[in-house]
Amino acid sequence: MEYVNPLTGFRVDGRRPNEMRQLKAEVGVVARADGSALFEMGNTRVIAAVYGPREIQNKGQQVNNKEALVRCEYRMAEFSTGDRRRKPKGDRRSTEISLVIRQTMEASILKDLMPCSQIDIFVQVLQADGGTRSACINAATLALADAGIPMRDIVTSCSAGYLCSTPLLDLNYVEDSAGGPDVTVGILAKMDKVTLLQMDAKLPMDTFESVMGLAIEGCKAIATYIREVLLENTKRLECQRG
Amino acid sequence: MAATAMDHDGGDMVTPGELLGNSLTLVAGRGAYTEGRSVRASVTGHRRIVPPAPGSDDQRSTVEVVGHKAHGAVPQPGSIVIARITKVMARMASADIMCVDSKAIKEKFTGMIRQQDVRATEIDKVDMYQSYRPGDIVRAVVLSLGDARAYYLSTAKNELGVVSAQSIAGGTLVPISWTEMQCDLTGQIEQRKVAKVE
Repeated sequence: MEYVNPLTGFRVDGRRPNEMRQLKAEVGVVARADGSALFEMGNTRVIAAVYGPREIQNKGQQVNNKEALVRCEYRMAEFSTGDRRRKPKGDRRSTEISLVIRQTMEASILKDLMPCSQIDIFVQVLQADGGTRSACINAATLALADAGIPMRDIVTSCSAGYLCSTPLLDLNYVEDSAGGPDVTVGILAKMDKVTLLQMDAKLPMDTFESVMGLAIEGCKAIATYIREVLLENTKRLECQRG
Repeated sequence: MAATAMDHDGGDMVTPGELLGNSLTLVAGRGAYTEGRSVRASVTGHRRIVPPAPGSDDQRSTVEVVGHKAHGAVPQPGSIVIARITKVMARMASADIMCVDSKAIKEKFTGMIRQQDVRATEIDKVDMYQSYRPGDIVRAVVLSLGDARAYYLSTAKNELGVVSAQSIAGGTLVPISWTEMQCDLTGQIEQRKVAKVE
């Protein structure tokens, strides 16, 4: 199947190889949570809710007394994929992605400002169309910023692949299931540091560098958008407060 | 209205990770942190510069980021908390911390007042049942992060202790001395460690 049209250069959904899907974000969607956000990348929709810092519920899990404990849970709604999912959480993929998101966000949260407490991040995929991992990290960043939890920097994530000898930015489900390499990158936007780098399949080294570079540019574009959303949200709250 | 005017001085809004200045000329205050040579914001909000205190050695200004929604407070050693007593035992009392430094928190933290921390004098002769009863609201200071189960609290000062309580008859208790409170319905006197409220 041709994922990139040789004549026009368009992908299966009409995008150019270095074009990202349309982004849409909304902050404060879950009223009960301390912070929450809804993040959409094309057809992938993800909702994140953050609770904390609050008292540690399970003292056995606390490793370091001087830092906050960060917990993360990733779930996919049963209706999020084409066929109704049997096991929304607890399967290996969900456990792995929960761990990945937790480690990525832990690198940014200033944990030692909130000792002896716990921060819970819950992400749920409402609609899955490729790139759910990245959308979850972006939604979690927005939710943490909405909750006022101090962070080093905004963490953004984007994926890129390599099909038909072209680096492609932000793969959707069709392109992801093509079997080609899929590189997911998470960065601290302003500080230019990588916190997440995952790839499946194999790539030669120089191709990998160009694909990773493309993903990092995508991350920076998402960071600019997230920053605008946060500033907009703060202005709106200030107007409401009077 | 006056509060909003103060929030806006210094003006521009920043998001986490944005560079606020150099650590040679600025000290990171609330909402900001230092990384190497640079001072960056850690929350979303307005940047505000606070001039240095006139007598201090360090003549750098402090930069703060005032957010619209600060994260829920976490008790720190030295902070004054308001707690409700849940259990009274022979040598300690358990309490649910509800406010930290005059900021209410959404979910409670557990605190513990030990026998030797109830008051400052004659600490080995303290009778816990005559100092606190379950349901009393007390003002206490956080001594330390404590063990895995609870924060350690202390009421060993004049202004700390029972602030509000209900009597056995159901009326409100009114303080009449350091150690006694009187019910306003029946006139019965009950023993408590009373806080001196200004």
